[in-house]
Amino acid sequence: MAEFRLPANSRIVKGITHAAPAGARELRQVRIYRFTPDSGENPRVDTFGLDLASCGPMVLDALIQLKATVDSSLTFRRSCREGICGSCAMNINGVNRLACTTSMKELSGDIKIYPLPHMPVVKDLVPDLTNFYAQYAAVKPWLRTRTPAPPDRERLQSKEEQERIDRPAACILCACCSTACPSYWWNSDRFLGPAALLAAYRWIIDSRDEATGERLDELEDPFRLYRCHTIMNCTDVCPKDLNPARAIAEIKKMMVERQI
Amino acid sequence: MSLTTPLRQVLGLGSAKSGVHHWWMQRLTSVALVPLTLWFVVSLVTLPGFDHATISAWMSQGLTAPLLVLLVLTMTWHSRLGVQVVIEDYVHTSGARTVSLVLVGFAHVFMAAAGVFAILKVALGRGA
Ligand code: SF4
Ligand code: SF4
Ligand code: FES
Repeated sequence: MAEFRLPANSRIVKGITHAAPAGARELRQVRIYRFTPDSGENPRVDTFGLDLASCGPMVLDALIQLKATVDSSLTFRRSCREGICGSCAMNINGVNRLACTTSMKELSGDIKIYPLPHMPVVKDLVPDLTNFYAQYAAVKPWLRTRTPAPPDRERLQSKEEQERIDRPAACILCACCSTACPSYWWNSDRFLGPAALLAAYRWIIDSRDEATGERLDELEDPFRLYRCHTIMNCTDVCPKDLNPARAIAEIKKMMVERQI
Repeated sequence: MSLTTPLRQVLGLGSAKSGVHHWWMQRLTSVALVPLTLWFVVSLVTLPGFDHATISAWMSQGLTAPLLVLLVLTMTWHSRLGVQVVIEDYVHTSGARTVSLVLVGFAHVFMAAAGVFAILKVALGRGA
């Protein structure tokens, strides 16, 4: 059965409180999920006092500052710090988003930072995305053709044809959407999830691709595709304003279209 | 412990190549239920009473019985499809899932049969 309570070793216990630096002018409490699987200890939530006046504006700035000045063992992923690499996705004040594009001013009350929901945790804010990436690989996210490429130029696409894939191709694979989807929480072993399905859609509608039928065949499955119940959390949280829910609905439409 | 690759785990037993029929029928039955339910509610509200004589007179007239049969069949079908989704969502051990899907299927077929039998009995019984 689905489990509605965390296993005993995953329940959160009280953590450490780090006081704000002396003379802080603009104090903000930051509460961060901490977990080291190897330690054998339960996860805890540490509280850090942060002086906003001496810190950059984004949640990622706070994490970097706290790691540099308070606790160097604080662990998180980041790279580009401008919303394009997809590394810093985490659950901030209850919503999956990118730490580097979330301004602390937008958040009310204490800032609460947890790893992406319902994923195995490698350490602190770093979730294990192995299954998520394998699902991406499973939809064969590359051009599949039978017509050989023209010898003297690339495969052409009209402007309108390019525009159709422009948005779906902008996905940064941050996993905000899939880990916000209740269906994905319960069935991520068999449901591909919104990110992988959006990637599949991007290739299904690519005017140059010649494996549309095979791609639909591979998705036509009660779990892979049809676990999506149009809850729309995915579209709500996408930091790139993409619409995986619509992409999935379009795929379902094509499934019917080729039957009747 | 398992040393299989993550991709092998995701690919599993492959695509079932089904699901579209279930999804389409779920939509069709819900669309069909709108007029059927409306007709049913309006008919009940406009009946002069709910005693056995009035009801059986209503049920044996015109198209009442066939529409009632349609209502019962569509409703049980729609319900079966819906309950199946709930089971697939929440029951994760494959043995328990198979058993509950089969039982739910039987229960719905039984409900449909009992409903149709009851309708026919009242609708046809009156003339005999
Ligand atoms: S669709 Fe949006 S939320 Fe989902 S992985 Fe891509 S960028 Fe992230
Ligand atoms: S629309 Fe589908 S994929 Fe998106 S959150 Fe809902 S169930 Fe998940
Ligand atoms: S650090 Fe690259 S998206 Fe946030």
